Amino acid sequence: MGPHVALEVVRLVGVLVVAVLLQTTVAPNVRILGAHPDFVLIFVVCVALLRGAEIGALFGFVAGGLVAIVLFEPAGISAFVLVVIGYLAGRYAETADLSPGFAPLVTVLAGSLAGETMYALAQFLLDRQAPVYFLTTRVIVPLVILNALLAAPVYLVVHWWLGGERHVGAPEAR
Amino acid sequence: MGRRRALRRRLVVAILLLLSVALLTVYFRESSDGPVHRAQERALRLFAPLQEGSARAIKPFRDAWNWTADLFDARAENRRLEDEVERLRQQSGRELALDEENRELRALLKMERDPLFPRDVRFVPARVIARSPSVWYSTVTINAGSNDGIALYDAVVNGQGLVGRVSAVTSDASQVALITDQESFVDGMVLPGGAQGLLSGSVTGDLALEYVDKSHRVEKGQVVVTSGRQGSIFVRGIPIGTVSDVAQQDVELYQSISVTPYVDFHTLDAVSVVVR
Repeated sequence: MGPHVALEVVRLVGVLVVAVLLQTTVAPNVRILGAHPDFVLIFVVCVALLRGAEIGALFGFVAGGLVAIVLFEPAGISAFVLVVIGYLAGRYAETADLSPGFAPLVTVLAGSLAGETMYALAQFLLDRQAPVYFLTTRVIVPLVILNALLAAPVYLVVHWWLGGERHVGAPEAR
Repeated sequence: MGRRRALRRRLVVAILLLLSVALLTVYFRESSDGPVHRAQERALRLFAPLQEGSARAIKPFRDAWNWTADLFDARAENRRLEDEVERLRQQSGRELALDEENRELRALLKMERDPLFPRDVRFVPARVIARSPSVWYSTVTINAGSNDGIALYDAVVNGQGLVGRVSAVTSDASQVALITDQESFVDGMVLPGGAQGLLSGSVTGDLALEYVDKSHRVEKGQVVVTSGRQGSIFVRGIPIGTVSDVAQQDVELYQSISVTPYVDFHTLDAVSVVVR
């Protein structure tokens, strides 16, 4: 493993540790608009935007698995959802023009909506139910708004820490 | 080259998705001593001090936020409390009469008066240091564990009523499944009247008392307590909440009863674990 790859791994591990710590120690104590922020999802989207689909998916898997283990949730659901979100966000970064400044905000918004919907579907398959109206108005909408508010500062910090955009695969449509 | 990269990317994602499903399968198929559950207990031991520190640091800001939010609700809350005082005043008269009748009947049967909790229990005080941030799981983490005598399935209460039961224990911290969790079931009883049923939680935070026969008369405002049946982990008489709605449908065998819990789970802080 070359020094650049080792440094990259160390940086990604640093982002992973901060994301898991924020989600397991800060998020449970913060409740705004009736929702808790999803720091892990925001970090997964930011990493995927900066490093592409493969790294985004892998980061999502590890982060989701770790958070589920620490919070005593069924292991596997968060990992599955964040793999998909990380992959899709990474593909978006690899194929679209990210120069407009609002790209992280839009991706986090879309990722939060998609992620929470997938999570609800997974819970439904596990025989846990919730009224659609309650889910939409009291869970998904507040969470999406809260995540959107946190998207820009988190992206700026992750962008600085990881040293800018660098995708594993060459972008296909530039 | 582009095709190979795309193929590798899809392979990586497919493997990760399969691993996620495998992890989920292992989690549900293994026993509580399995590797994933043990990893969760180790993680709880490791993260509990961090969660406690974070809870302490954030508490002033959370209290300030709650205080501000409460100001907006103060007028409506005041009106509600005035109505409740009036209702309780009327109820106390009826209860005094029932209490007298109860005393006479017990004397006739020569029964000893049962205390609310058995004599061999003690209360372990604890504080909530973390909450599950997911709406799908109603759990909290408290800063007391097996070193304090806490064991799995011990009941957890606070000054308002029943909070939940211990669902995981480490040496210095425990996880508590709240009664509002979807997988929580508590045997409940309506007073007066004695109608018994099974109280279940939901994602919305509401409680439903199920399997209450239609022949029992249940009204809004009646009190729900634990029934303490044989084999129950909860002793008899712990307050749970009040009946907020009763509905009956001809096609249904049982009544549909909604219960508003006494405990405010959003501001849960100090609790006590009932240790036998």
